[in-house]
Amino acid sequence: MESGSGEGSMMDDYESLISTTDAELLKRSWRNEKAAPEILQFELSLVQRSTEQIQLMEETVEESMASGVDPLTVSLYQMDLDRTQFLLRSYIRIRLQKIEKYMAHIHKTTELWNRLSKQEQKYAQRCIEDLKEHFEKSVLSKLPDRYKSSLKQSVISEEDDMVPEPQLDTYVICRAKRSLGAFQLDDSAEENPVSLDAGDPYAIRYKSIKSLVYSGQIDLV
Amino acid sequence: MYAKKACELVKEFSSSEPGQLAPFNTNLFSQVIEECNFHFHQLQSLLSKIQEGPDSQTKNADHFGALIHHLSLVRNKRCLMAYVHNRAEVIRSLGWMIEPPLPEEIQEKLSSSEKEYSKNQSATIKSYQSEMDLDLAVDMVPPKDPYIKVRVLDDIGSVALSDQIANLARHAILFLRRTDAETYISQGLMEELTD
Repeated sequence: MESGSGEGSMMDDYESLISTTDAELLKRSWRNEKAAPEILQFELSLVQRSTEQIQLMEETVEESMASGVDPLTVSLYQMDLDRTQFLLRSYIRIRLQKIEKYMAHIHKTTELWNRLSKQEQKYAQRCIEDLKEHFEKSVLSKLPDRYKSSLKQSVISEEDDMVPEPQLDTYVICRAKRSLGAFQLDDSAEENPVSLDAGDPYAIRYKSIKSLVYSGQIDLV
Repeated sequence: MYAKKACELVKEFSSSEPGQLAPFNTNLFSQVIEECNFHFHQLQSLLSKIQEGPDSQTKNADHFGALIHHLSLVRNKRCLMAYVHNRAEVIRSLGWMIEPPLPEEIQEKLSSSEKEYSKNQSATIKSYQSEMDLDLAVDMVPPKDPYIKVRVLDDIGSVALSDQIANLARHAILFLRRTDAETYISQGLMEELTD
Protein backbone atom coordinates (compact mmCIF):
# COMPACT_ATOMS: atom_id res chain seq x y z
CA MET A 1 0.00 0.00 0.00
CA GLU A 2 2.67 2.40 1.03
CA SER A 3 4.76 2.01 -2.06
CA GLY A 4 1.59 2.33 -4.12
CA SER A 5 0.66 5.66 -2.61
CA GLY A 6 4.25 6.84 -2.90
CA GLU A 7 4.25 6.05 -6.58
CA GLY A 8 0.93 7.86 -6.93
CA SER A 9 2.31 11.07 -5.51
CA MET A 10 5.38 10.78 -7.66
CA MET A 11 3.16 10.38 -10.68
CA ASP A 12 1.21 13.43 -9.53
CA ASP A 13 4.41 15.43 -9.22
CA TYR A 14 5.49 14.34 -12.64
CA GLU A 15 2.15 15.15 -14.18
CA SER A 16 1.87 18.54 -12.55
CA LEU A 17 5.38 19.31 -13.71
CA ILE A 18 4.58 18.26 -17.26
CA SER A 19 1.31 20.14 -17.27
CA THR A 20 3.00 23.43 -16.42
CA THR A 21 5.47 23.47 -19.29
CA ASP A 22 4.75 26.09 -21.88
CA ALA A 23 4.21 23.51 -24.58
CA GLU A 24 1.49 21.91 -22.51
CA LEU A 25 -0.03 25.25 -21.53
CA LEU A 26 -0.13 26.33 -25.14
CA LYS A 27 -1.76 23.07 -26.13
CA ARG A 28 -4.37 23.54 -23.43
CA SER A 29 -5.13 27.14 -24.40
CA TRP A 30 -5.37 26.09 -28.02
CA ARG A 31 -7.80 23.28 -27.20
CA ASN A 32 -9.92 25.48 -24.97
CA GLU A 33 -10.06 28.21 -27.56
CA LYS A 34 -10.97 25.70 -30.23
CA ALA A 35 -13.82 24.18 -28.27
CA ALA A 36 -15.27 27.24 -26.55
CA PRO A 37 -18.07 28.99 -28.43
CA GLU A 38 -16.98 32.43 -27.21
CA ILE A 39 -13.62 34.15 -27.27
CA LEU A 40 -11.41 33.54 -24.21
CA GLN A 41 -8.78 35.66 -22.56
CA PHE A 42 -5.71 36.17 -24.77
CA GLU A 43 -2.69 34.42 -23.22
CA LEU A 44 -0.28 37.28 -23.68
CA SER A 45 2.72 36.12 -21.68
CA LEU A 46 2.33 32.55 -22.87
CA VAL A 47 2.35 33.65 -26.50
CA GLN A 48 5.38 35.82 -25.89
CA ARG A 49 7.25 33.00 -24.19
CA SER A 50 6.33 30.57 -26.96
CA THR A 51 7.51 33.00 -29.61
CA GLU A 52 10.85 33.31 -27.87
CA GLN A 53 11.01 29.57 -27.49
CA ILE A 54 10.44 29.12 -31.20
CA GLN A 55 13.25 31.52 -32.05
CA LEU A 56 15.57 29.69 -29.72
CA MET A 57 14.64 26.35 -31.23
CA GLU A 58 15.14 27.67 -34.73
CA GLU A 59 18.63 28.78 -33.80
CA THR A 60 19.39 25.43 -32.22
CA VAL A 61 18.27 23.58 -35.33
CA GLU A 62 20.35 25.78 -37.59
CA GLU A 63 23.40 25.43 -35.41
CA SER A 64 23.06 21.69 -35.19
CA MET A 65 22.67 21.43 -38.94
CA ALA A 66 25.75 23.54 -39.51
CA SER A 67 27.87 21.64 -37.03
CA GLY A 68 26.90 18.28 -38.48
CA VAL A 69 24.95 16.76 -35.61
CA ASP A 70 23.19 13.49 -36.39
CA PRO A 71 20.42 14.30 -38.91
CA LEU A 72 17.93 12.21 -36.95
CA THR A 73 18.39 14.34 -33.86
CA VAL A 74 18.03 17.48 -35.92
CA SER A 75 14.85 16.26 -37.51
CA LEU A 76 13.43 15.48 -34.08
CA TYR A 77 14.18 19.04 -33.03
CA GLN A 78 12.64 20.23 -36.25
CA MET A 79 9.50 18.25 -35.61
CA ASP A 80 9.15 19.67 -32.14
CA LEU A 81 9.62 23.13 -33.58
CA ASP A 82 7.02 22.51 -36.27
CA ARG A 83 4.49 21.37 -33.72
CA THR A 84 4.95 24.38 -31.49
CA GLN A 85 4.68 26.68 -34.47
CA PHE A 86 1.52 24.99 -35.60
CA LEU A 87 -0.04 25.33 -32.15
CA LEU A 88 0.80 29.01 -31.94
CA ARG A 89 -0.41 29.83 -35.42
CA SER A 90 -3.53 27.78 -35.12
CA TYR A 91 -4.30 29.38 -31.74
CA ILE A 92 -4.07 32.83 -33.26
CA ARG A 93 -6.00 31.85 -36.37
CA ILE A 94 -8.87 30.42 -34.35
CA ARG A 95 -9.06 33.61 -32.33
CA LEU A 96 -9.02 35.86 -35.38
CA GLN A 97 -11.72 33.82 -37.04
CA LYS A 98 -13.84 34.01 -33.92
CA ILE A 99 -13.34 37.75 -33.84
CA GLU A 100 -14.45 37.96 -37.46
CA LYS A 101 -17.55 35.98 -36.73
CA TYR A 102 -18.75 37.91 -33.69
CA MET A 103 -17.01 41.24 -34.24
CA ALA A 104 -19.95 43.50 -33.46
CA HIS A 105 -20.90 41.54 -30.37
CA ILE A 106 -17.34 41.50 -29.05
CA HIS A 107 -16.91 45.16 -29.81
CA LYS A 108 -19.90 46.31 -27.79
CA THR A 109 -19.34 43.95 -24.84
CA THR A 110 -16.59 45.46 -22.71
CA GLU A 111 -15.80 42.21 -20.96
CA LEU A 112 -15.16 40.43 -24.26
CA TRP A 113 -13.34 43.38 -25.79
CA ASN A 114 -10.85 43.36 -22.94
CA ARG A 115 -10.00 39.73 -23.62
CA LEU A 116 -8.38 40.68 -26.92
CA SER A 117 -4.75 41.59 -27.34
CA LYS A 118 -3.88 45.06 -28.61
CA GLN A 119 -3.27 43.76 -32.10
CA GLU A 120 -6.48 41.78 -32.05
CA GLN A 121 -8.43 44.87 -31.07
CA LYS A 122 -6.94 46.69 -34.00
CA TYR A 123 -7.77 43.73 -36.20
CA ALA A 124 -11.37 43.66 -34.96
CA GLN A 125 -11.69 47.38 -35.57
CA ARG A 126 -10.56 47.02 -39.14
CA CYS A 127 -12.82 44.01 -39.70
CA ILE A 128 -15.78 45.98 -38.47
CA GLU A 129 -14.98 48.87 -40.77
CA ASP A 130 -14.48 46.57 -43.75
CA LEU A 131 -17.75 44.78 -43.22
CA LYS A 132 -19.63 47.95 -42.51
CA GLU A 133 -18.44 49.49 -45.72
CA HIS A 134 -19.43 46.36 -47.58
CA PHE A 135 -22.91 46.38 -46.01
CA GLU A 136 -23.36 50.05 -46.78
CA LYS A 137 -22.47 49.63 -50.39
CA SER A 138 -24.43 46.47 -51.05
CA VAL A 139 -27.59 46.94 -49.01
CA LEU A 140 -27.98 49.72 -46.52
CA SER A 141 -27.41 52.71 -48.78
CA LYS A 142 -30.22 51.45 -50.99
CA LEU A 143 -32.75 51.13 -48.20
CA PRO A 144 -35.07 53.92 -47.04
CA ASP A 145 -34.10 56.17 -44.12
CA ARG A 146 -34.73 54.77 -40.68
CA TYR A 147 -33.80 51.31 -41.93
CA LYS A 148 -30.14 52.01 -42.64
CA SER A 149 -28.52 50.74 -39.45
CA SER A 150 -26.39 47.63 -39.65
CA LEU A 151 -27.04 46.80 -36.02
CA LYS A 152 -30.75 47.50 -35.74
CA GLN A 153 -33.58 46.35 -37.94
CA SER A 154 -35.13 49.81 -37.92
CA VAL A 155 -35.06 52.94 -35.76
CA ILE A 156 -37.92 51.53 -33.73
CA SER A 157 -35.75 48.76 -32.29
CA GLU A 158 -34.61 49.70 -28.84
CA GLU A 159 -31.69 47.29 -28.73
CA ASP A 160 -29.28 46.11 -31.37
CA ASP A 161 -31.24 43.21 -32.74
CA MET A 162 -29.12 42.28 -35.73
CA VAL A 163 -25.86 41.33 -34.05
CA PRO A 164 -24.81 37.68 -34.25
CA GLU A 165 -23.83 36.28 -30.87
CA PRO A 166 -22.20 32.99 -29.94
CA GLN A 167 -24.43 30.22 -28.65
CA LEU A 168 -23.31 29.82 -25.09
CA ASP A 169 -25.66 27.00 -24.23
CA THR A 170 -24.15 24.64 -26.74
CA TYR A 171 -22.72 21.41 -25.36
CA VAL A 172 -18.99 20.99 -24.90
CA ILE A 173 -16.91 18.03 -23.84
CA CYS A 174 -14.80 18.82 -20.83
CA ARG A 175 -12.53 17.17 -18.36
CA ALA A 176 -11.71 18.25 -14.83
CA LYS A 177 -8.13 18.18 -13.67
CA ARG A 178 -9.08 17.55 -10.07
CA SER A 179 -12.28 16.37 -8.50
CA LEU A 180 -14.44 19.41 -8.12
CA GLY A 181 -17.10 17.78 -6.02
CA ALA A 182 -20.78 18.43 -6.56
CA PHE A 183 -21.31 21.22 -9.01
CA GLN A 184 -24.58 23.02 -9.57
CA LEU A 185 -25.12 23.12 -13.30
CA ASP A 186 -28.30 25.09 -13.43
CA ASP A 187 -29.11 28.39 -11.77
CA SER A 188 -32.68 27.34 -11.33
CA ALA A 189 -31.59 24.64 -8.86
CA GLU A 190 -34.07 22.29 -10.46
CA GLU A 191 -31.48 19.79 -11.53
CA ASN A 192 -29.36 17.86 -9.10
CA PRO A 193 -25.75 18.91 -8.74
CA VAL A 194 -23.34 16.83 -10.81
CA SER A 195 -20.15 15.61 -9.26
CA LEU A 196 -17.20 16.32 -11.53
CA ASP A 197 -14.51 13.72 -11.01
CA ALA A 198 -10.93 14.11 -12.11
CA GLY A 199 -10.15 12.84 -15.57
CA ASP A 200 -13.67 11.83 -16.55
CA PRO A 201 -15.10 13.40 -19.67
CA TYR A 202 -18.46 15.14 -19.39
CA ALA A 203 -20.75 16.69 -21.97
CA ILE A 204 -22.16 19.82 -20.37
CA ARG A 205 -23.63 23.06 -21.58
CA TYR A 206 -20.82 25.57 -21.96
CA LYS A 207 -22.79 28.26 -20.14
CA SER A 208 -22.86 26.34 -16.87
CA ILE A 209 -19.15 25.58 -16.69
CA LYS A 210 -17.64 28.66 -18.27
CA SER A 211 -16.46 30.06 -14.94
CA LEU A 212 -14.49 26.84 -14.41
CA VAL A 213 -12.91 27.27 -17.83
CA TYR A 214 -11.90 30.84 -17.00
CA SER A 215 -10.27 29.76 -13.74
CA GLY A 216 -8.51 26.86 -15.43
CA GLN A 217 -10.10 24.19 -13.25
CA ILE A 218 -11.58 22.41 -16.21
CA ASP A 219 -10.29 21.77 -19.73
CA LEU A 220 -12.32 21.60 -22.88
CA VAL A 221 -11.58 18.74 -25.21
CA MET B 1 -47.06 37.55 -51.40
CA TYR B 2 -44.79 40.09 -49.75
CA ALA B 3 -41.18 39.19 -49.02
CA LYS B 4 -41.33 36.09 -51.18
CA LYS B 5 -38.44 37.19 -53.36
CA ALA B 6 -36.27 37.88 -50.34
CA CYS B 7 -37.02 34.40 -49.13
CA GLU B 8 -35.92 32.98 -52.50
CA LEU B 9 -32.67 34.87 -52.19
CA VAL B 10 -31.90 33.35 -48.82
CA LYS B 11 -32.97 29.91 -50.00
CA GLU B 12 -30.64 30.20 -52.94
CA PHE B 13 -27.75 30.75 -50.58
CA SER B 14 -28.67 28.01 -48.16
CA SER B 15 -29.12 25.44 -50.92
CA SER B 16 -25.65 26.06 -52.30
CA GLU B 17 -22.80 23.85 -51.25
CA PRO B 18 -21.42 24.95 -47.86
CA GLY B 19 -18.23 26.95 -48.23
CA GLN B 20 -18.85 27.62 -51.91
CA LEU B 21 -20.31 30.60 -53.68
CA ALA B 22 -22.92 30.89 -56.38
CA PRO B 23 -22.76 34.00 -58.59
CA PHE B 24 -24.13 37.06 -56.84
CA ASN B 25 -27.79 37.29 -57.82
CA THR B 26 -27.87 40.95 -58.82
CA ASN B 27 -31.21 40.69 -60.51
CA LEU B 28 -33.16 39.20 -57.64
CA PHE B 29 -31.26 41.34 -55.19
CA SER B 30 -32.31 44.60 -56.83
CA GLN B 31 -35.87 43.36 -57.10
CA VAL B 32 -35.96 42.92 -53.34
CA ILE B 33 -34.50 46.40 -52.86
CA GLU B 34 -37.24 47.76 -55.10
CA GLU B 35 -39.81 45.94 -53.01
CA CYS B 36 -38.37 47.59 -49.90
CA ASN B 37 -38.86 51.01 -51.42
CA PHE B 38 -42.38 50.09 -52.47
CA HIS B 39 -43.20 49.10 -48.88
CA PHE B 40 -41.72 52.32 -47.64
CA HIS B 41 -43.87 54.45 -49.92
CA GLN B 42 -46.97 52.56 -48.93
CA LEU B 43 -46.03 52.91 -45.31
CA GLN B 44 -45.49 56.64 -45.61
CA SER B 45 -48.72 57.31 -47.43
CA LEU B 46 -50.64 55.32 -44.83
CA LEU B 47 -48.90 57.11 -41.99
CA SER B 48 -49.65 60.55 -43.41
CA LYS B 49 -53.23 59.46 -43.94
CA ILE B 50 -53.47 58.49 -40.28
CA GLN B 51 -51.93 61.76 -39.20
CA GLU B 52 -54.18 63.90 -41.34
CA GLY B 53 -57.24 62.95 -39.42
CA PRO B 54 -58.81 59.85 -38.06
CA ASP B 55 -61.13 58.30 -40.55
CA SER B 56 -63.15 56.10 -38.28
CA GLN B 57 -64.09 53.69 -41.02
CA THR B 58 -60.63 52.71 -42.19
CA LYS B 59 -58.71 53.55 -39.03
CA ASN B 60 -57.90 50.01 -38.03
CA ALA B 61 -57.25 48.89 -41.58
CA ASP B 62 -54.76 51.73 -42.06
CA HIS B 63 -52.97 50.93 -38.84
CA PHE B 64 -52.59 47.28 -39.62
CA GLY B 65 -51.69 48.01 -43.21
CA ALA B 66 -48.89 50.28 -42.04
CA LEU B 67 -47.68 47.66 -39.64
CA ILE B 68 -47.63 44.99 -42.33
CA HIS B 69 -45.64 47.21 -44.65
CA HIS B 70 -43.19 47.96 -41.89
CA LEU B 71 -42.78 44.31 -40.98
CA SER B 72 -42.37 43.26 -44.60
CA LEU B 73 -39.70 45.88 -45.03
CA VAL B 74 -37.84 44.71 -41.95
CA ARG B 75 -38.10 41.13 -43.09
CA ASN B 76 -36.77 42.01 -46.50
CA LYS B 77 -33.91 43.85 -44.91
CA ARG B 78 -33.07 40.87 -42.73
CA CYS B 79 -33.04 38.60 -45.77
CA LEU B 80 -30.84 40.96 -47.76
CA MET B 81 -28.44 41.32 -44.87
CA ALA B 82 -28.41 37.58 -44.27
CA TYR B 83 -27.56 37.00 -47.92
CA VAL B 84 -24.72 39.51 -47.90
CA HIS B 85 -23.52 38.53 -44.44
CA ASN B 86 -23.33 34.82 -45.15
CA ARG B 87 -21.60 35.39 -48.45
CA ALA B 88 -19.14 37.64 -46.67
CA GLU B 89 -18.46 34.80 -44.26
CA VAL B 90 -17.65 32.45 -47.13
CA ILE B 91 -15.43 35.09 -48.71
CA ARG B 92 -13.55 35.45 -45.45
CA SER B 93 -13.03 31.72 -45.12
CA LEU B 94 -11.73 31.62 -48.69
CA GLY B 95 -9.39 34.45 -47.81
CA TRP B 96 -7.91 32.26 -45.09
CA MET B 97 -7.46 29.26 -47.36
CA ILE B 98 -6.28 30.81 -50.59
CA GLU B 99 -3.42 33.18 -51.04
CA PRO B 100 -4.79 36.50 -52.39
CA PRO B 101 -5.86 37.50 -54.93
CA LEU B 102 -8.74 35.08 -55.37
CA PRO B 103 -8.66 33.13 -58.64
CA GLU B 104 -10.60 34.40 -61.63
CA GLU B 105 -13.38 31.82 -61.42
CA ILE B 106 -14.27 32.96 -57.91
CA GLN B 107 -13.81 36.66 -58.66
CA GLU B 108 -16.46 36.61 -61.34
CA LYS B 109 -19.05 35.32 -58.90
CA LEU B 110 -18.62 38.29 -56.60
CA SER B 111 -20.36 41.63 -56.70
CA SER B 112 -18.11 44.67 -56.97
CA SER B 113 -18.52 45.46 -53.30
CA GLU B 114 -17.67 41.88 -52.40
CA LYS B 115 -14.47 42.07 -54.43
CA GLU B 116 -13.55 45.18 -52.55
CA TYR B 117 -14.39 43.49 -49.27
CA SER B 118 -12.27 40.47 -50.04
CA LYS B 119 -9.34 42.74 -50.86
CA ASN B 120 -9.75 44.74 -47.67
CA GLN B 121 -10.08 41.60 -45.63
CA SER B 122 -6.81 40.11 -46.83
CA ALA B 123 -5.11 43.46 -46.27
CA THR B 124 -6.40 43.39 -42.70
CA ILE B 125 -4.99 39.92 -42.15
CA LYS B 126 -1.70 41.03 -43.69
CA SER B 127 -1.35 44.01 -41.41
CA TYR B 128 -1.99 41.84 -38.36
CA GLN B 129 0.63 39.38 -39.53
CA SER B 130 3.26 42.01 -40.08
CA GLU B 131 2.52 43.53 -36.71
CA MET B 132 2.93 40.17 -34.99
CA ASP B 133 5.73 39.15 -37.35
CA LEU B 134 4.02 35.82 -37.86
CA ASP B 135 3.01 34.09 -41.07
CA LEU B 136 -0.47 32.67 -40.56
CA ALA B 137 -0.85 31.20 -44.02
CA VAL B 138 1.33 28.19 -43.31
CA ASP B 139 0.78 25.29 -40.93
CA MET B 140 -2.87 24.91 -41.79
CA VAL B 141 -2.98 21.28 -40.69
CA PRO B 142 -1.28 19.67 -37.71
CA PRO B 143 2.18 18.56 -38.81
CA LYS B 144 2.94 14.85 -38.81
CA ASP B 145 6.27 14.95 -40.57
CA PRO B 146 8.61 17.82 -41.33
CA TYR B 147 8.79 16.63 -44.93
CA ILE B 148 5.92 15.96 -47.29
CA LYS B 149 5.65 14.52 -50.77
CA VAL B 150 4.35 16.95 -53.32
CA ARG B 151 3.70 17.08 -57.02
CA VAL B 152 4.57 20.30 -58.83
CA LEU B 153 1.68 21.49 -61.00
CA ASP B 154 3.39 24.27 -62.91
CA ASP B 155 6.84 25.19 -64.13
CA ILE B 156 8.21 27.23 -61.27
CA GLY B 157 11.90 26.90 -62.08
CA SER B 158 14.86 26.79 -59.76
CA VAL B 159 14.07 28.05 -56.29
CA ALA B 160 16.17 28.37 -53.19
CA LEU B 161 14.23 26.66 -50.40
CA SER B 162 15.16 26.79 -46.76
CA ASP B 163 17.33 23.67 -46.95
CA GLN B 164 18.11 23.11 -50.62
CA ILE B 165 17.95 24.57 -54.09
CA ALA B 166 15.35 22.66 -56.01
CA ASN B 167 14.31 22.64 -59.61
CA LEU B 168 10.54 22.79 -59.49
CA ALA B 169 9.57 21.57 -62.93
CA ARG B 170 6.02 20.65 -63.81
CA HIS B 171 4.97 17.10 -62.78
CA ALA B 172 8.08 16.63 -60.67
CA ILE B 173 7.46 14.70 -57.46
CA LEU B 174 9.60 15.87 -54.58
CA PHE B 175 10.13 15.60 -50.88
CA LEU B 176 10.04 19.12 -49.48
CA ARG B 177 10.03 20.78 -46.13
CA ARG B 178 6.36 21.19 -45.29
CA THR B 179 6.78 24.88 -44.52
CA ASP B 180 8.35 25.47 -47.93
CA ALA B 181 5.71 23.55 -49.79
CA GLU B 182 2.67 25.10 -48.09
CA THR B 183 3.14 28.47 -49.73
CA TYR B 184 3.08 26.84 -53.16
CA ILE B 185 0.12 24.64 -52.24
CA SER B 186 -2.01 27.61 -51.19
CA GLN B 187 -1.15 29.30 -54.50
CA GLY B 188 -2.29 26.20 -56.34
CA LEU B 189 1.14 25.50 -57.80
CA MET B 190 1.65 22.22 -55.98
CA GLU B 191 -0.43 19.46 -54.53
CA GLU B 192 0.31 17.22 -51.61
CA LEU B 193 0.47 13.52 -52.31
CA THR B 194 -0.91 11.31 -49.63
CA ASP B 195 -0.51 7.58 -49.62
